[in-house]
Amino acid sequence: MRSRLFKPTLIWLQGVTCNGNTHSFLNLPYLPQLLARFEILYHPLLPCSQNLEEIARCRRGCDVLVFEGAFDPMMERAGVTLERLVAYYAEEAGHVIAAGSCASFGGIFKAAAPERNSGLAYAGEHPDGPLLGKAGKVINLSGCPVHPEWLGFALMNIAEGRPISVDALGRPTALYRHMAHDGCLRNEYFEWKVDAEQFGRKEGCLFYEHGCRGPLTHASCNRTLWNGVSSKMRVGTPCFGCTEPDFPRRNLFETKTNMSIPEEVPVGVSKRAYLTMTGIAKSFKIKRLEERLTDDD
Amino acid sequence: MMTKALIEHIEGEASLYFDTRGEKITWAEIAFPHFRGMERMLEGRKATDALVITPRVCGICGHAHLMATVRAIEAAYAQAGYPVELTRKARSIRELTLVLEMIQNHFKWLYLVILPELEKLGVGGISPAPLKGAYAAAQATKILALFAGQWPHSSYMIPGGVTCDPTHLERIQAAGLLDELIGFFEKETAGVGLDALLSFASCREFNPLQSDLGRLEKGLIATEMHKKGMAYDRFVVLGEHGFTVRARLKHTRPMKADPSQVSTEPAVCRDETSHARNVRYGKHFYEVGPLARSISADTALIKNMHRRYKDSVYTRVMARAYETAVLLQHAKTLLAELELSEPSYVPPAPLERISAEGEGIVEAPRGPLMHRMRLERGIVAEYGIITPTQWNLGSSVMSDPAPAQKAMVGAADIAEATFVFRSFDVCSVCTTH
Repeated sequence: MRSRLFKPTLIWLQGVTCNGNTHSFLNLPYLPQLLARFEILYHPLLPCSQNLEEIARCRRGCDVLVFEGAFDPMMERAGVTLERLVAYYAEEAGHVIAAGSCASFGGIFKAAAPERNSGLAYAGEHPDGPLLGKAGKVINLSGCPVHPEWLGFALMNIAEGRPISVDALGRPTALYRHMAHDGCLRNEYFEWKVDAEQFGRKEGCLFYEHGCRGPLTHASCNRTLWNGVSSKMRVGTPCFGCTEPDFPRRNLFETKTNMSIPEEVPVGVSKRAYLTMTGIAKSFKIKRLEERLTDDD
Repeated sequence: MMTKALIEHIEGEASLYFDTRGEKITWAEIAFPHFRGMERMLEGRKATDALVITPRVCGICGHAHLMATVRAIEAAYAQAGYPVELTRKARSIRELTLVLEMIQNHFKWLYLVILPELEKLGVGGISPAPLKGAYAAAQATKILALFAGQWPHSSYMIPGGVTCDPTHLERIQAAGLLDELIGFFEKETAGVGLDALLSFASCREFNPLQSDLGRLEKGLIATEMHKKGMAYDRFVVLGEHGFTVRARLKHTRPMKADPSQVSTEPAVCRDETSHARNVRYGKHFYEVGPLARSISADTALIKNMHRRYKDSVYTRVMARAYETAVLLQHAKTLLAELELSEPSYVPPAPLERISAEGEGIVEAPRGPLMHRMRLERGIVAEYGIITPTQWNLGSSVMSDPAPAQKAMVGAADIAEATFVFRSFDVCSVCTTH
């Protein structure tokens, strides 16, 4: 464990981005405490000791590089290409954090310009980014945007000198071993194959017809709630699988089905077994799951 | 001689090119270098996919983009002869979450941008506390997320209503959080109760305030911002909401506003490729944003400021800061009047039947946001976005400058001109999208 006196230096760079990860991070409840653990050399919105032009001169490295947005080698920040900026700071840094799905896999902005843009170490699920050779130091915090608590978790571990174990796609297992489905308030409907039928109701599961990717998406959105209070599924919006390399897929509000069974079944489940189980589950008629949950209306 | 200044700590970056005589600014051009191709990536996708993609245009006003998209899809439904039924409840929840996004924006702009920049101009006693802005913004997004699931980047508005089904539990939680946020605003930002602040009729009433808003007001006068940064004194409000009125205004005189009169052309910058566009109503540039909204809504205090100091930086900045109070009050009313017994969602006709054009207009934090789309059997054939910053921060020729250009000419030096620029609340990612 590092002493609390050691303050790692941090630079937050932006590639092709919407700034969503920056703004998501500002929602972190313990933001002031976290910032106090680092020496912020550069951040696009928060107080920092250097400006972008100074950073672009590439004279002094940092301990932690946070990168937000897709990587487009030719894009310039303060007149210097991302290719040069990322190569320089990643070389120096002990840790590189890809904040969000664009930086991790290319995300929305890879979808907008697939021939140019990628993530730092991956393009979609293929290890094919500029930091491929340094993939060991890249921590992928996918999500569109990154959940502030996930970024808080990674940065606090770095500040404390703790190792972070990652999955095959470079994502911390502590955060991405769960499925988005885990902790969903609609799980009982999922188990008994009761579909939501329509939007705007808290009853029913969104997996069967409404495009929800909860059982197929590695994310802990329903364990660590968004903004401390909620998640997409809690408000009846399907999970769009934004932490996975194939985000954004197409027809996001629909589930592709085969004989009224979702074509893709929950991760790790055999399709044949799932079909059998679905048949049995559907044969139950559970009155409680056919009624409204509250009498507010 | 052209002098370049890189402007950051906005949403992305912008380049300003100044012509100067001595230190004084005689001309300014604006370039936004980063382009991302959001409109093109929507083509060929199902219209509902736009509800997930367009919030990603902007990390700070994605919710406004979501609302513009859903309104555009619903307008296309109507044009195709399948009008979408929306309950009052769905409308109120949409408006409430939009208002909360505006509130977080204004807090961040005030604390993370304007107060620190004002201090850099040499005003003493500002003591900026940027993290106050992050704290207050996070409180606002927490309330928003109770209905929308998360912020940024939620997709809970859908044609026919909203996906959420809130109970009185969420309503009461939201009301508690909102009261806390109002308490913070009264104590830290305003230094006076919300009701008292909303009843202010003259700038003089700021004099006794020992608060961030009081320091802001004094700082703006100390830097003579009440005499600087005038643009055209012409305003447009296009979104239809409960907190303002759609209108086109010359000075404070309102006229009818017709969105079909809005047009765009590429922005001009001699020294750098800019991906921005200039937006005009008819043949003219107009200013948009909280100042426009306040005048259109007949807000007594802002009209008083405008009478004294016209459309100066002072009036523009104070209008945005003051709108936070107006919006907090509006959020409180919306929440109190929320009728939970109505349905959240009324299913519309199948999207595949819709071949039509639709336009969705929303007042985003910085002004009117317009989404236009053409659908062929529910698939996006064309998509166009016009953002508020394109209205204010276009870059045109010397004989016909865009509002921010006009406002910067005459500034004493580059530092002052960039403050004038920031008074419009610059968003680079929205400007280019």
